[in-house]
Amino acid sequence: MDYGVEQRDQEAVVRLRGRLTFNDHAKLRALIGEMAQNKAKRQVLDLSSLEFVDSAGIGMLLIAREEMVNAGKSLVLRTAAGQVKRVLTVAQIGKIVTIED
Amino acid sequence: MSSQGMNDQGTPAGLFSAEAPDAPFTLGQARVLVVDDNRVNRHLLLALLERGGVRQVEEAEDGNDGLARLDSFKPDLVLLDLMMPHLDGFEMCRRMRADPRWKGLPVLVQSSLNRAEDRARAFAAGATDYVTKPINAVELVARVRIHLQKRALLRDLEQYHTRARRELAQARRMQEKLMPGPARLAELRSTLGIAIDSHFAPSSELGGDFWGIQRLPDGRTGVYLVDFSGHGVGAALNTFRLHAICQQLAPACGDPEDFLAAVNTRLCALLPSGQFATMLTGIVDTEAGVFDYASAGSTAPMVWAPGETEPRLGDGTGLPLGLLASMRYERRSLPLPPGGRLFLYSDAAIEIQQGCDVLDECGLAALVGRHMAQAEGARFLEGVLEDLRAAGPIDDDLTALVLTRLS
Repeated sequence: MDYGVEQRDQEAVVRLRGRLTFNDHAKLRALIGEMAQNKAKRQVLDLSSLEFVDSAGIGMLLIAREEMVNAGKSLVLRTAAGQVKRVLTVAQIGKIVTIED
Repeated sequence: MSSQGMNDQGTPAGLFSAEAPDAPFTLGQARVLVVDDNRVNRHLLLALLERGGVRQVEEAEDGNDGLARLDSFKPDLVLLDLMMPHLDGFEMCRRMRADPRWKGLPVLVQSSLNRAEDRARAFAAGATDYVTKPINAVELVARVRIHLQKRALLRDLEQYHTRARRELAQARRMQEKLMPGPARLAELRSTLGIAIDSHFAPSSELGGDFWGIQRLPDGRTGVYLVDFSGHGVGAALNTFRLHAICQQLAPACGDPEDFLAAVNTRLCALLPSGQFATMLTGIVDTEAGVFDYASAGSTAPMVWAPGETEPRLGDGTGLPLGLLASMRYERRSLPLPPGGRLFLYSDAAIEIQQGCDVLDECGLAALVGRHMAQAEGARFLEGVLEDLRAAGPIDDDLTALVLTRLS
């Protein structure tokens, strides 16, 4: 997995690319730290280029959500597709994190 | 790593036994065997080593003498001359390398042979390093220290590795015992007319999956399959916790959705953020001929009746366990007539990569369809697993379960 961050006025958009799995723990931890630090209140994870997420990856998205809440920010998961969308739907992650199409 | 854990390893006497593994390395405890036919040389080397801080040194006057002393002295390093009568340094080195006990022992050659061919020959015989005479005191001690340090680190690592492997193997056997054994399955088969065949393959030594079966007080049969987020030791420890919770709660819960909600409440209090489990639990109702189930983000269960050619997929949708304590789950139902089959599996089976997508549930259903006619549950499972392995590498814990209603 890799990512690119784009700072806008009110929000920071982080575009995740590739596969988000068990092996990306350290990388996502660093990203979460970055998201907590930057000044935008609204943190958007753009999932349109994410091809695959496993259960550990979902766990990391949930940690991201919690860390944003702790930092007084909000987290949005945006434009998931394919397997990522299926997994988010089956696990009803929308009950916990805001999901936008 | 705890120092206590390492001390019961039965380490041979020498550099490592007296120290905790993470204690700073000291030359004072190192044992060095000096092999040289020239007494003056031996004394010179001994003096240099002593001045460098190495206090436990033994001398040998040729290769035979050197080999004879290895066993009793148990050196941490051999300082070896090449040109000696009876048995020279090349041959002594070769013989040490042929013995598993001395295969990894650092051998620092010190010789007046100075040509490139001599060095090459010494290394070919198994030497670790080479210094030429006349000896430079500082260089000699520095090299001795480097090789001893490296050996100490390697030993530490090897011991840690051996212990970790042994403990993981033991934990693995314990984890397998969480699931019903052959005797229990044979009993279920004869008393309830339900045959179960299963497959459990963690992607490392331990896994985050398990399944269970429980006879309820009213005579019906409850079955469940759990898959913790992540894999490895952390996920495996969670399976032990959840297993205990299931054992405790299952007899009291008549309905799968209540069982799931009760398990969820308990797990929410235990799991740290970012950890969760998916779970499917259901009840085989032989009278009504149905499988009533509830799912917390599990994979879609598959059922089929005898003679059917493709499986019917259930719905696995639901919030995974451990995320929201107040969560309520929904009861769903699938037909399970006599002779019918139920197939449950962990998500590894639908996450096998196919180009830039994954196998997914439809792909798995098609694959299951090819083996549905198989009368024996075990053969059916074998066929499906073989096809899955052929579909691509499986890099997560894979558990699969097929339940057959015999009558």
